[in-house]
Amino acid sequence: MKGWARLAVAGLLAVGAAGIARADDALKAKVGVLRLSSSAPVFIAQDKGYFKDAGLDVDLKFFDAAQPIAVATASGDVDFGVTAFTAGLYNLAGKGVLKVIGGMSREKAGFPLIGYFASNNAYAAGLKTPKDLAGKRIAVTQVGSSFHYSLGLLADKYGFKLSDMKVLPLQSLSNAAAALKGETVDAALLPVSTARKLMDDHGAKLLGWVGDETPWQLGAVFASPKTLANKALVTKLLGALQRADREYHDVILAQVKDGDAPVNETTKPLLEIIAKYTNLPVEQVVGNCAYVDSDGRLDVRNVANQINWLQGQGFVDKGFDADAIIAKDYVKPD
Amino acid sequence: MPSARCSMLDRADQPGTATPADPTGELRPVAFRGAGFAPKASRRAGWIALALVIALWQVAGSAGWVNPLFLPAPLSIARAIYQLALSGALWQHLSYSIMRIGAGWILGTIAGVIIGFSIGLSSLARGVGITFISALFPIPKIALLPLLILWLGIGEEPKIATIALGVFFSTAISVYSGVDAVPRNLIRMAQSFNVPFHAIVRRVIWPGALPSILAGFRITASIALLLVVSAEMIGAEFGIGAFVLQAGNLMQTDQLLAGVVILSLFGLAVGKLINMLEVRLLHWR
Repeated sequence: MKGWARLAVAGLLAVGAAGIARADDALKAKVGVLRLSSSAPVFIAQDKGYFKDAGLDVDLKFFDAAQPIAVATASGDVDFGVTAFTAGLYNLAGKGVLKVIGGMSREKAGFPLIGYFASNNAYAAGLKTPKDLAGKRIAVTQVGSSFHYSLGLLADKYGFKLSDMKVLPLQSLSNAAAALKGETVDAALLPVSTARKLMDDHGAKLLGWVGDETPWQLGAVFASPKTLANKALVTKLLGALQRADREYHDVILAQVKDGDAPVNETTKPLLEIIAKYTNLPVEQVVGNCAYVDSDGRLDVRNVANQINWLQGQGFVDKGFDADAIIAKDYVKPD
Repeated sequence: MPSARCSMLDRADQPGTATPADPTGELRPVAFRGAGFAPKASRRAGWIALALVIALWQVAGSAGWVNPLFLPAPLSIARAIYQLALSGALWQHLSYSIMRIGAGWILGTIAGVIIGFSIGLSSLARGVGITFISALFPIPKIALLPLLILWLGIGEEPKIATIALGVFFSTAISVYSGVDAVPRNLIRMAQSFNVPFHAIVRRVIWPGALPSILAGFRITASIALLLVVSAEMIGAEFGIGAFVLQAGNLMQTDQLLAGVVILSLFGLAVGKLINMLEVRLLHWR
């Protein structure tokens, strides 16, 4: 027994020593992301070695939903999270276990990301524009999700109440798509990646894009307070990300026309990187380029609005505001 | 093999077969040993253990040993339930869930009992039924949700169908194994006395299979409770399952555990109900 204990201690020391020895070479960081093009700069920074150039050894951890990334960041399983704002994320941040350190994807005019889709029957019955969604049955994934908030913004824009719409949480994108195709809801909010197949099969009709109707700050980079204490690590990571943000913005986003990026000698290498990490063919990546600010700025005013709205709906605990969850030392406000 | 051992023990019990280990032939008195293991459910022990665990949990929470976000203390869960009850939402959630669980369980049970009896009594139904049950039982019902939505929409039908499907297979299996376990000699005796088929089913097979059927009910009632959360993934506005899902989505962990506690209290109540049924229906045992 004692022998084993000694062995274990020796092992721990060895591992610790190795860690110290390597700390000079590269800071280790685990980053939680979704395999979606809205995290394109992360993939570019990793694939083109921008993290390595900044002296970081980044390990990407892939998740299949936004919420688990927030939870894993809060619990310390990953050091940084890159994903969309959700009510769950704000509730974690409000308890002080998460802070926003930078901006990521945005809903912006001309860059299709989330769309409003009508079922064929509802379309035939006169549901032709996003404005007509008042009084309809609309499928979303979850209560307090990006889709739900987008509907809230739409209601504000056209002066009707959220309660005028019947919002149905179906828990997953495939369920929402099935409900739309099966004509059991009038409309659904879906990301372009899910909706493309539906549109190609004539299972649904596009009413418009959220970015064109109500632009807002969809995604962000965030970290736990423990990670934030390591100032060198955070600064290096954000620096590398911004380098990728700028490249992605100037090369791909600047050339996007009618929602599609052209495939040419400048864009192709980056599109292929995105295709590799999102497991999509390049032809699908081109129509699915999320807008990201060239400097990684965060639309702080919109974040405050999101928190207000979610608190008003009772989805986020009251008693904190945007200032409390934004790490001012790192965030560049818009 | 067990029967052989049994008969040996029977013989060993008979007087006259002297114990070979005792060469003098004298009989040695032996204290009674074969009391068997008879665990008695002490009413208090269970509750005391539960209270101790809850107290420890509360202490851990209030002393700050665990982050309340990761494990909310019992008091904050109780507060969440209290607020839910006060706002009236609790009753709304409960009544929707009870309606879905009740309808799904009854439909699934009726179908399961009928199919189970057919499998137990007819060779044709047995061949076909067991094949289908084996093939369809292991399909996760959650994986079928998009299809259920396409077939049945997002009203009450797919929610009740999800629960009914889960209940049906377990019921069918426990009913036909119950029918199989009815002592064959009782059935043969009834047949020898020329008792009509329906009377054999009603008087011999039904009571014989009932213990196993009721044990099946105990399992299917829990399955129905488990499935109410999956069922209410389909666009439910109210219901305990929908409440639990929403709390999870919003990371309101105290609400989440409040929903879980309500579900498990519900499970306890259903368990008690089945106990009462067993006492009533199986008093002949």
